[in-house]
Order: sequence, then C-alpha cells, then structure tokens
Amino acid sequence: MARRSQGTKLHLAVLCLVVSCHAIGLSDLMERASQRSDQLPHSLVHADSHFPPMGRVMMPRPSMCHTSSLQTPKDKEQALRVSENELISLARSLLLAWNDPLLLLSSEAPTLPHPSNGDISSKIRELQDYSKSLGDGLDILVNKMGPSSQYISSIPFKGGDLGNDKTSRLINFHFLMSCFRRDSHKIDSFLKVLRCRATKMRPETC
Amino acid sequence: MMWRDVGVTLILSLILPVVAQGARHTPPGKPKLTSCRSPDKETFTCWWEAGSDGGRPTTYSLFYHKENSETVYECPDYHTAGANSCFFNKNETSIWVNYNITVVATNALGNNFSDPVDVDVVYIVQPHTPENVTVGVLEDEDGPFLRVSWEPPRKADTRSGWITLIYELRVKLEEAEEWEEHRAGQQKMFNIFSLHSGGVYMVQVRCKPDHGFWSEWSTASYVKVPDYIPRERSMWILIAVFSAFIFLILTWIITLNRSSVKHCLLPPVPGPKIKGFDQQLLKKGKPEEDLLVEYLEVYVNEKQELMPEGKDLRDVGCLKSKSQSDNDSGRGSCDSHTLLMEKCGGVESKDESSYEEPELLQGQAGSWERLERGDSQVVDTPDSSDARVKTWPLVFSPSIHGSSDNHHYGTLEMPKQHSTSEITYSVPDHLFPTSTSFPHHHHPEYRDSLGEYSEYRHSRSPSTGVLYHWEAQHHPQAHSNFNIRNLERQKEATGLGLPPSRSMEYVEVQKVNQENQLVLKPLSSHGRGPSQVQFGRAVVDYSKVNGVNNDNVLLLQRQREMAEAGQYCDYREKEGAEAERYPTQQQGKTTKDGPVATQLQESTCLTTSGYVDTVPTMPTF
Repeated sequence: MARRSQGTKLHLAVLCLVVSCHAIGLSDLMERASQRSDQLPHSLVHADSHFPPMGRVMMPRPSMCHTSSLQTPKDKEQALRVSENELISLARSLLLAWNDPLLLLSSEAPTLPHPSNGDISSKIRELQDYSKSLGDGLDILVNKMGPSSQYISSIPFKGGDLGNDKTSRLINFHFLMSCFRRDSHKIDSFLKVLRCRATKMRPETC
Repeated sequence: MMWRDVGVTLILSLILPVVAQGARHTPPGKPKLTSCRSPDKETFTCWWEAGSDGGRPTTYSLFYHKENSETVYECPDYHTAGANSCFFNKNETSIWVNYNITVVATNALGNNFSDPVDVDVVYIVQPHTPENVTVGVLEDEDGPFLRVSWEPPRKADTRSGWITLIYELRVKLEEAEEWEEHRAGQQKMFNIFSLHSGGVYMVQVRCKPDHGFWSEWSTASYVKVPDYIPRERSMWILIAVFSAFIFLILTWIITLNRSSVKHCLLPPVPGPKIKGFDQQLLKKGKPEEDLLVEYLEVYVNEKQELMPEGKDLRDVGCLKSKSQSDNDSGRGSCDSHTLLMEKCGGVESKDESSYEEPELLQGQAGSWERLERGDSQVVDTPDSSDARVKTWPLVFSPSIHGSSDNHHYGTLEMPKQHSTSEITYSVPDHLFPTSTSFPHHHHPEYRDSLGEYSEYRHSRSPSTGVLYHWEAQHHPQAHSNFNIRNLERQKEATGLGLPPSRSMEYVEVQKVNQENQLVLKPLSSHGRGPSQVQFGRAVVDYSKVNGVNNDNVLLLQRQREMAEAGQYCDYREKEGAEAERYPTQQQGKTTKDGPVATQLQESTCLTTSGYVDTVPTMPTF
C-alpha cells in the first residue's frame, strides 16, 4: 500500500497540476474506503452477538468509551456542516484511536471465559485487518486532499487490562467491543458523507 | 323474613360487583417497549404495549435520558405515530447517542415503569419502502425484457450520503408460487430477461440501509409480457429444419448413387483368377458350352464304357480348339493355343483350311486320329471363330492292335455346333477295315475316307451340318446303335477277335436319324447290293491317293499295277458312279466334287496306273 500510495501520489501530482482532479481519484478511493469502513460494523455486530445482553447496571456507560472525548457531530445537520478536512480527520483519528484497544482485545480474546472465544478471537483479528487497510487508504486519501486534512487528534487509550475476575473481564471486553462498534459506524458515516460530497460529477450515485 | 332475605341478597348482589370493581383497581400493569425505529436516521419512533390497566384509566408516558446526562425528558410527541407511541423529531434525535427510554403507566392507583431500553438511533434504521416503482416492457434483439425502476423513500436522505441504501427486488409470474429475488445494490433500476411470452409478472422492491433493517416490500406492480417467439428457440427451430433438409437431400443423393457409393466404400475384392489349366474343370468333365464336345462313340464291344472325355483329352493332350472366351477363363489348357502348339507338334489352328496331316498319337488304347478343322473355310461358314473344333482322340478298336481290349472303342467326336457349320470328325478307323499299318497309310486311307466323306463335308451347309451333326452321345444307347452295327459289321466281316481291318468291309452312312445319329450300315449287309452292284459293275479300278493338296483336292497317284488297263480314263465314270452311289448322302454338292473328279480325270488319263480306292482300305504293302 505504501508503494502504491507513493506511486499514485506521483501519478496524480503530475496529472492534477492544473485541473483539480481530486474528484476522480478521490471518488474511487472514497468508494474503497467506505467499503472498508462498512465492513467494520458488520464484524462487530457478529462479535457482539456472542455476548448476552448485560444488565444496564453492570454495563459501563458508553460515555466511558475512551473516544468520547473526541467531538463528533451528533446529528445529520451537524455532520453535513462539518468540512471535508474535518471529516477525514475525524475518521482517521477514530481509527487510530482503536489500534491499541484492538491489540488488547486480540490478546485477551483467546483467554476470554466465553464458550465461543475462538470465534471472537478470529473476529478481532479480522477487525484489525480491516482497520489497517482502511487506515492505509485514508492516508493516501489525505495526501490527495491537502495538508490541512492531515491533522489527527490523538486519543490515548488508558485501559491496561480488562480486569482480574472473570466477570469484569467479560464485561470490559464487551464494553470495548460496543465502543468500537459505534466508532466504526461513525467512521463509515463520515466517509460516506465525504464520498458523496467529493463526487460532484456523479450526484446520482449518492 | 323471606322477603327481607331476598332483598338483602339482591342488594348485596348489586352492590358487591361495584364494591368489587372498586376493589380491583390496581396500579397499571407494566408496559413494555416493543420497538423503536428510525426511517431516516434523523427521527425515530418507539412503540410500547400496555399492560393491564388496573381497572382505571391509565396513562402512559415515556421518559428518556441520554447517556451523558441525567436529565430526563419526556416524549415530545405521543400522537404522531399513533397510539402507544412516541415520536422523536429531528431536534430531539441525536445520533451515536444512547437513549435510555422508559415507559410509565400511570393510573389513579399508581404507576408502573417498564424496563428501560437503550437505543442508539444508528442501529435501528429501517427505511420506508421504495417509492414510485415502475415496471416496463422493453424490446431487445433477444426479445422483450422487464425494466424495473424505483425511487428511494422520500424521507431517506441518500443524496447527501447520510443514508446509503441498497435495494432488492423480487419478481414472479402471477400464477407462480416462488419469488425470484435479485439484489440491485445501490442502483435504482433493474432489468429482467428471459420472460415467458404472454405472462403476467408481479414485481416488488425493498431497501435497506448499509447497517440497518430491511424495509417492507413495496406494493406489487403488475406487468404483462407480450407474445413473442423466443429468439433462441426460433434459432434452434431454424437449425433443426435446415439440418433435416440437408439430411434429406443427402439421403436422396446417396440413394441415387447407391451403387457408386457402395463401390466407393466397399470396393469389390477381386477374386482370384487362375490363368491356364484348370484341373478342376477338366476333372469335372462337365462340358461347358463352348467346350462341349460332341462326339459319337463307337464301341466295338458292348462292355466298353465311354471313356470320359476329360481323360481322353488328357491322355492325348492333343486338342485343338479355338477358345471362345477370354484368356483367363480357367479352362483347360488343352484349349489354349499355346498348349496345342506344344502338344500337338505344331499343328496350329491356322491350318484350318488344309487337311493337315492328322497327327496320330499313340494313346493307351490305340492310335488316335486327329481331326483338324478343315471345313471351316471350305464351307465358308460364317463364324469360324466361334466354331469350336476340337480334335478328339480316337481310340481305336482292337482292330488296330489286334488284341481284344475292353476299352477298345472308337470315339468319334464331333464338335458341337454352336454356330453353323463346323463339324469335323474323324472317321473311326474301324468303320473301315484297316490294317495295322494304318498310321503310315493314314493318309491315303484317310484321304479315302475323307474322300468318301468329303462330300459330306464339303457339302456342308448349315442344313447339312445338322445332318452330320452328331451330338455328343453319352448315353449308351446311341453308342449301342453304333455298337450293334459295328458288331454286326465286325461279325460279319471278321468275327470277334479278328481284326476287322483284315476284312474289307464297308460301312455306308445310311442316314442321320432324328437324334442326329449317324446310322451306318455295313455295306456288306445292307445296301451293299447296289453299291456292290455299282461297285461290281464298274471295274475295280483303284487309284492311290497321293495326297491332298491345299485345295482339298485329292491327288491321285497312278499305279501301274492296275488290273484293268485301259480304264484309266474311265475313272471319271467311276467317279461319277461313285458319286452316284451315294445319292442320298449327297446333298448339296459343292464344287469340290468337280475338281476332284476333274483332277482325277486328269491324273487318270495322264498316268497309266493309279487308282482311287473309294473304300479306305489299308493297303497292304
């Protein structure tokens, strides 16, 4: 992907000297990115289905997700008001924020006291792959979009481990999974809005 | 008393239900949130079901609070979405926010809370059905097809990309049971091919957001496909008809040229043809048409049997014949020219016209006399080519050898007459008394005999040919005729055992009977009288026959020992007498008589001696 990104970068830089041809390359890239981002929630839904619905007492609140500090649009109007650069930045920031938790989850999954921890483990690995490929694609995308789009908010992940006892581990695992599911939705939505906004030549596809 | 009791009972029965009703009032039962749905990811609605109402009018209220705050809000709109529903409008809807919703049922006696439900709008999106579904029939080179088009539901904002919808449609014939489903992706148009001509189709469309629930199916759209012949089927029909046509034509052509096709495919295997001598054929002894040899067997002895022709032929090996068929007919080699030349000492067929020297071969039983075909040219018969002339061996009677042998017999073979005229025959020796020195004097005798018979020969015409035509007589009867006559003759002349050659006996040909048998009778027994008379009348003058020239003219030799002198020139008369002697046999004289006579006359007059012995006697020199 890095090779391809450099190659495409050069290629596009040559071609797009005069005319703004972001849309051409962007739309394809955006399409791919949105397809990639689309896969995340699906995988998470499958992974989440293994967990029984927890009582709300035991379940930590979603506001305790470590990415909740990142300000993201809350509704459609807000989302449509966000600039493209911000959108791509948000998407990349969120994606980046989940690299470490995914590592934790993948390491904790095999020892998870759950009957189908094997499936969960494989799902986590799948999520890692998707996340990686999407991140690379977005990197290429921001290279096309300009330097102002390359700002990334760093969101540290402080969760060391999931807990000591079996229950807290399961709960924390499930909680992390749910946080990631929502954030994958956000990423997907942001990219799709970005895609439709960037492809001015084909409005009917959106 | 009774009345009071009844009254109290009545009152109690009336009051108690009312009291009981009042006693049944309870706080409402627990409501339950059934579902919350958002059609556009901008608003959402929640529905609940009521529990028991507790006997009192119960009100339901919905409360919620968002995940980040503890502020509890009540449902802003209970009516838009219908009964027992709460509608959240755009302003109140936040995305990626958990709503904690609770429904409370309240009546006069109390209230009841439902279980709280966490709802994130993003996860509950279920759009409305696609709108404006249109189905049309379009024509294509392959036939008609359906084009289905639709629009996204009005509320779903797909233009901004806020919602991405994917579509699905299903189609079936009206009378069919199973639907045929197709995923259409994000496109808003779909083509359906391979339709049943004349069928009525039903089409329905639904949609789903990328992460959400499927919408309901749209209302069915009906479309009728016009009648048409499927191009594929029509193409196959055309191909089938064309192939059948070609096949018929090929069959017809092959039938017409059946023989040549068979010849081409199954070339005839040439059978083996053996050139030359065919042993089998000869062994069989069956006379083929042109090989048919007609012969007249003359038995000296009744016991004698007819020797098979083939054996004779083989023994002699001296056959002269004209082959009438192709060279590789497989006939006996004796028929071939070359063999004849070999075996017969160079006697060739070319000597047709002349009386060649008959070659005598000493067979087992006796000497043979060979026939030549000399008549073909003389008679001037038309088709000498196909006249088969054969020489046949003559087995002579013991008269020659002087020993009695069972197999002595003479055969006189005659060729069968295919064509007209060819008959040559050899006169059996014993017909005329001959001596053993026959070979040497074969000539004169033969000439004599020839002279006697030459008339017949020369006078041969087709009719006379028939006369002298002796067919092959295989059955003994014919032979017996001969035999008898011969025997008679033999007896008369010499008695059994004596060589008849010693006796001077003459056999005259009386006639040819209807079976083409030459009826001979000894001159001594029957008609000898006249001949004798004639013979006796005339002075016995003899002239030796010197030879026969090429013209079939007897060359007589004068002899000095003529008993009667001065009668030389009477020879003519004699000849004439002789000629007269057999008036019956002479039919159709040819010119040969003339020259003979004249020749003789000349010779006779010129020379002092010489005789013509009309009877082929073996001169005893």
